[in-house]
Amino acid sequence: MNRLDGRVAIITGAGQGIGKAIALGMAREGAAVVIAEINGGNAQEVQSELQESGQRALAVPTDVSREESVLAMVERCLKEFGRIDILVNNAGIYPVSPVEEMAEEEWNRVIGTNLIGTFLCSKAVVPRLLEQRWGRIINMTSGRAFQGAKDGAHYAASKAGIIGFTKALALELALCGVTVNAICPGVTDTAQPRGHRTEEELYGMAARIPLGRIGQVDDLVGPAIFLASDAAGFVTGQTVLVNGGAIMW
Amino acid sequence: MSSADKKVAVVSGGAGGIGAAVVSRLAQADFIPIILDKDEAAGREVLAELGRQEGRGLCIALDATKKSDVQRAFDRVLADYRRVDVLVNLAGGALYAKLIQDFALREWREIIDVNLKSTFLCCQAVFPIMKAQRQGAIINTASNYAVTGSASRTAYSAAKAGIIAFTKSLAAELAPYGVRANVIAPGRTATPRVMGNYDAAGWAAASSQIPMGRTAEPAEIAEGVAFLAGDESLYMTGQTLHVNGGMVMP
Repeated sequence: MNRLDGRVAIITGAGQGIGKAIALGMAREGAAVVIAEINGGNAQEVQSELQESGQRALAVPTDVSREESVLAMVERCLKEFGRIDILVNNAGIYPVSPVEEMAEEEWNRVIGTNLIGTFLCSKAVVPRLLEQRWGRIINMTSGRAFQGAKDGAHYAASKAGIIGFTKALALELALCGVTVNAICPGVTDTAQPRGHRTEEELYGMAARIPLGRIGQVDDLVGPAIFLASDAAGFVTGQTVLVNGGAIMW
Repeated sequence: MSSADKKVAVVSGGAGGIGAAVVSRLAQADFIPIILDKDEAAGREVLAELGRQEGRGLCIALDATKKSDVQRAFDRVLADYRRVDVLVNLAGGALYAKLIQDFALREWREIIDVNLKSTFLCCQAVFPIMKAQRQGAIINTASNYAVTGSASRTAYSAAKAGIIAFTKSLAAELAPYGVRANVIAPGRTATPRVMGNYDAAGWAAASSQIPMGRTAEPAEIAEGVAFLAGDESLYMTGQTLHVNGGMVMP
C-alpha cells in the first residue's frame, strides 16, 4: 500500500527542480497531483510525464502572488479531483541585488512570490482541510533564513518569514487534524542557483558540507512524503533541515 | 533473503515504553532488532511479543553508563550479526523532580550519566563498526526540555540539551564515512512511566497544554525514528526532529 493513496496534493512551482521531484514522488506514493506553476509549458510537460506513467496529474498555470490566480487554481483542483489534502508551497524566486541598490519592485516580487504566495495558497486550501479534519501544509524555506544571504536580503527575509508563518499557522490548525511544517533544503543542484553561481563555486561548496556533496532534488522527496503521510501526524510547526549537515539546528 | 543479509538495529533502552514501539516499528521495516536494556526480562518480553525466532533478535542486559558493559554488548552484537546499521539511544529518564538546592550531586550526576553518558558510550562503541561499514544511522533522544528547560529538571534539561550538541559534533565526525547522526525529540508521550507521574486530572491538564490537544503515542515517536533510520533521510545529519504536537517549535 502506498502512503498517499487517495490523497490530492497541490505542489506550487512543480514545473521544475525541487517542486517537480516532490510532485513525482508524491504521485509515486499514490497521490493525484496538481502542478501549480507559473511556466505553463513546464507544467504541461510534468503533467504529460505523470499521465504517461498512468498517474493522475493536472497542470494549472498559476501565479501564486495573485489571489485570483490562486483561487482559480484551487477551483480547478476541486473540479478535477474533488478534494485537497496536501499543499506544498514550493514556488519561489531568488534574484540578487545588494540592499543599497534593491528596487522596491524587486523586493515586492520576492516577498510577493515566496511569502505572500505561501500565505495565499494556504488560505485558499485551509477551509477544505478544516472541513475534512485532515490536512498537510509543507512550506519550503531555506538555509538563508538562518544565515542570511549576501545580496539576497529580500530572499532571506521571505524565507525566515515562512518559518514564522509556519509556526503560527500550525498553532491555528493544531486542534483540527492539520499539520503545518517547513522543509529547509541546503544548496541544491537545480537550475536556479546556477543563475548566480559558477559550476566550480557550486561544487566547491560540497567541500564545506559535512556529507561531502551538495543536495540533489531527490533528497527532498523522502522528507516531504514523510511529513505528508499519516506517520507524521504529531509533527507540526517544525522545520526539517535537509542539507547534508551544512546547518545543524 | 537469509537473516545474514538483514540489517541490524540496536535499540538502547528498547524495553521501555517508547523503546518497545521503536523496536516493533524497526522490525516491521525489516531490521533485526537488538535490545540493550537494564531490564532483561522486559526486553525479552518485547521480543516475544514480536514473535522473534531464535537468531532473529536479541536482548542484552547491561548498565549503559558502564563502558565495559557497553563494549561487551557491542562485541556480542558484532560476533553474532557482524554489522550494525542503526543505533537508537533511548535509554534515560528524568528520574527526579527537585529544585536545585535539594539536588544531591550524586543524583544530579546520575541523571547526566543515564541520559548523556550512556548516549556517548553507545555512540563511541558503534563508531568503529559504522566507520568500517561506511554506512549507518544513529538516532539519539532529546526532549522538549532540551529547548525550554523545566523547573525541577535542571539535570535532565542539561543532559538533553547536551545530547543535541553532542549529536551535532558526532555528525560532523561521522559524515566523512557516510554515517549520519540525528536526534528525535519527543514531546510528552503516553508511556506507563510518564503517565505514572500524573493523576487523571493532571494528565488531562498536561494534554490540554499541547497545541494538538493530546499527548504523543509511542508509535508516533517510532515513526519519526524510522524516518531518521531509513534512506528517506539520507541527506539529513546533525538535525533534531521534534514530534510534540506543536508544543515546542524551535
